[in-house]
Amino acid sequence: MTTLEILLVVFVGFAGGLAVGTGFVAFLVVLGVIPRLTQLTKTMKRVHAYEWGAVAGAIVGGWMSLRHSVWHLSKYWLVPIGLLHGVFIGMLAAALTEVLNVWPILAKRIGVDDKIVILLMAIAFGKVAGSLFHWLYFVDHFR
Amino acid sequence: MANTVFIKPRHRVQVKPGAVVTLGQAAQIAAPDGGLIRRLKTIPLYRIQPSDKNIVIIDMMQMIRAVLDVDSSLDLQMIGPSQTIIEVVYEKRKFSSASFVLVWLLLFVGSAMAIMNFHEDVSMQQVHRHLYEMMTGQAVDKPLLLQIPYSLGLGIGMILFFNHWFRKRINEEPSPLEVEMFNYQQSIDQYVILHENKESLRPLDDA
Repeated sequence: MTTLEILLVVFVGFAGGLAVGTGFVAFLVVLGVIPRLTQLTKTMKRVHAYEWGAVAGAIVGGWMSLRHSVWHLSKYWLVPIGLLHGVFIGMLAAALTEVLNVWPILAKRIGVDDKIVILLMAIAFGKVAGSLFHWLYFVDHFR
Repeated sequence: MANTVFIKPRHRVQVKPGAVVTLGQAAQIAAPDGGLIRRLKTIPLYRIQPSDKNIVIIDMMQMIRAVLDVDSSLDLQMIGPSQTIIEVVYEKRKFSSASFVLVWLLLFVGSAMAIMNFHEDVSMQQVHRHLYEMMTGQAVDKPLLLQIPYSLGLGIGMILFFNHWFRKRINEEPSPLEVEMFNYQQSIDQYVILHENKESLRPLDDA
């Protein structure tokens, strides 16, 4: 590999990372998950620390998945990791329905303003049930 | 100054079908003379017709005309919004429990399918297997120790985002859902103010 080739590969890798990283941040910003978390916990002043948390997570995840590093930890570490993973994806999904303006229109059209929390529960339980069904049954029988 | 009357149209007023909307219903009134206020409050502005359907807009100018008809010596000071939205509330259609259950099931099954398609789309099973192997050094076919907490977390995350669990304890800010509902209502109000108000639209053929 010549020096030029190495520089070219470094440049392409860096450019690709830059594009994916900006896309990731833009996605988080549009959905407003971090502001919502600061609002829930009243920690608006720490928002910069949260930014660094998201950036550090992206770097660690990227590094680990590309290097295939292995840590040999107890398997029970996966329980809290799985829970946090789920909460994050759940918040993304909730934020997405909000961006799409699903709830106000649904409430107006069918006139259930007072029961909207029950409908919200339908979606939350549906996600849990669908996900459990997928992991426990679907992956064994339909792949 | 003795004849000055301040009138502030209300934003939104609900009335029954066939009712007569009076100035006191449609607006707040302030004047030095209490008797005058009482008299002004009863001025009829508009009788709701069946053809009006849900929304009637009463323009500020209609109110001024109605007041001046009664007493043209008054000095009217109009403040606040320039119209009132009159919402005609018909007998509430009872939303049947059967259709509610149907909508509930629709959302339940739909979101279950959506999350399964999402998992397949991003090959999450493979990602979970890799993650399990990275953390523990063992390869497993079904990393359920990761996936079951993940599934429960999904529900918790959704409820957390919209929710009211913490709201009472931690702060009084409205939840994103309440803000969304408010914004939607505001947009509808803006629309009906312009489109249902015969006074502010003037088509070409209207002489």
